[in-house]
Amino acid sequence: MKTSKTWVYRHPLAVRVTHWVSALALIVLAMSGMQIFNAHPALYASDASHFDHPALSIRSELAPDASEIGYVQIGSWRVNTTGVLGFGPDGAGGMTERAFPSWATIPTYQDLADGRRWHIFFAWIFVLCAAVYARFALNLVPTRADLRALPSTLREHLVPWRVAASAHLNSLQKLSYFGIVFVVAPIVILSGLALSPAVDAHAHWLPQMFGGRQFARLWHFAGMIVLMLFFVVHILMVVLTGLVNNLRSMISGWLEVPGAQAP
Amino acid sequence: MKLKRRNFLGIIAATSLTGCARLATSLNDNQGFHNFLLTPERLNLAILGAGQPLAQEYTIDDVSADFRANGFDPPGSDQYARWSKSGWRGYELRVDGLVDRPQSYDLVALRQKFAMRSQITRHDCVEGWSVIGKWSGVRLSDLLANGGVKPLAQYVVFHCMDTDMMGTYYYESLSVSQAAHPQALLAYELNDKPIPIKNGAPLRLKVPTQLGYKSAKYVQRIELVASLGGSLGSGGYWEDQGYEWYAGI
Repeated sequence: MKTSKTWVYRHPLAVRVTHWVSALALIVLAMSGMQIFNAHPALYASDASHFDHPALSIRSELAPDASEIGYVQIGSWRVNTTGVLGFGPDGAGGMTERAFPSWATIPTYQDLADGRRWHIFFAWIFVLCAAVYARFALNLVPTRADLRALPSTLREHLVPWRVAASAHLNSLQKLSYFGIVFVVAPIVILSGLALSPAVDAHAHWLPQMFGGRQFARLWHFAGMIVLMLFFVVHILMVVLTGLVNNLRSMISGWLEVPGAQAP
Repeated sequence: MKLKRRNFLGIIAATSLTGCARLATSLNDNQGFHNFLLTPERLNLAILGAGQPLAQEYTIDDVSADFRANGFDPPGSDQYARWSKSGWRGYELRVDGLVDRPQSYDLVALRQKFAMRSQITRHDCVEGWSVIGKWSGVRLSDLLANGGVKPLAQYVVFHCMDTDMMGTYYYESLSVSQAAHPQALLAYELNDKPIPIKNGAPLRLKVPTQLGYKSAKYVQRIELVASLGGSLGSGGYWEDQGYEWYAGI
């Protein structure tokens, strides 16, 4: 039996443009953000820094055999990450004490001033994208029907390559995109703003909302980690559920779906 | 086999990140693009520099046990050493440039002539950390009003006594309106004691609405000027190293 195929116009132009521009912006923001983090590789769950008790730190120390050990420490729990985090490539062929390695930061060499330039420039681009995209975001608000369909959609996605393209976002897509757009992105944007002493003077409540300025830095960092995890899963699902069809729909707007009848 | 696949994915991720990082770095090293990246600074200043909102003030319980010091080593000159050992006898702050009456003040004069203002504010270093301290001293606007500021003056430049390893002096600048902020302070006390040497004795600027590098330490001379540039570079030591002049973010 031959299944009929039909084309649906899935993504309007504004969504496609803001999708790709904000994807680029978020990658640059993460990489320049890691550059900025490297200037003081510790986070604190408080308003001011309690230097002896960071919530998270990525540093290095000398081992008894005089070798340098890179580590990530969360509270009192510590994991050895030599070669990647804490102690890794300096971008000039050597190794150095450095929270995030040179291959993950913009620029590759250690330069806080330049990292800040990239970060603040692309933060503006990301916020402008968010403003243009805002009215389309309403399509992501899950309905009662979406919530009801969630268990079956979840089961379906255990075998992602069998998931058929459909004219509308399925409940799993809606919920995950909703979480990113309505929860994670606002946290990342607001906690980033709370790091600015001038913004804080205009809005004392902003850093307070996150538990203080250093705590806001912790939220900003955690939000970035969630976004990067989302990136990995998102790209994996794009590949597994039909790379060409998915990519084409986010470029041209048109998605090929099975069986559906265009009215 | 499974481990190999995981390694393979890791290598793909690292390779694509490396590509992004290299491409961005080559753009970063292009002077035109490097300058272009600084375009939001004006927008940030226009939005965040509007009005004179006050930085949050804290209580004495919030004060950090140690006020971390950053920047250069304390001034290494013999004169500075003599001053610091003799209770700053002989040290004078000079206020000149585009003013009606150039003035010099020693620390006693600063305490006698001007009301002491105190603030417990947060100091946000550009590196990312914060400390809270109680600063007391002269409100910058009171000091400037005493010598009279000529209408032509647009910037207030702070000349400092500390130098980098090459011998270049630290300096900073504020616009005249930033200097008029009620919390812009020329401080002589930290936590009710004379400012420790590492924190900028005997006088340091405190601007709690901007990042720490604006709050110049070891201030010796305040100069009112019509414009930056020339020998004043980009308006500050770190500004000359590529950091923003407007450090509100």
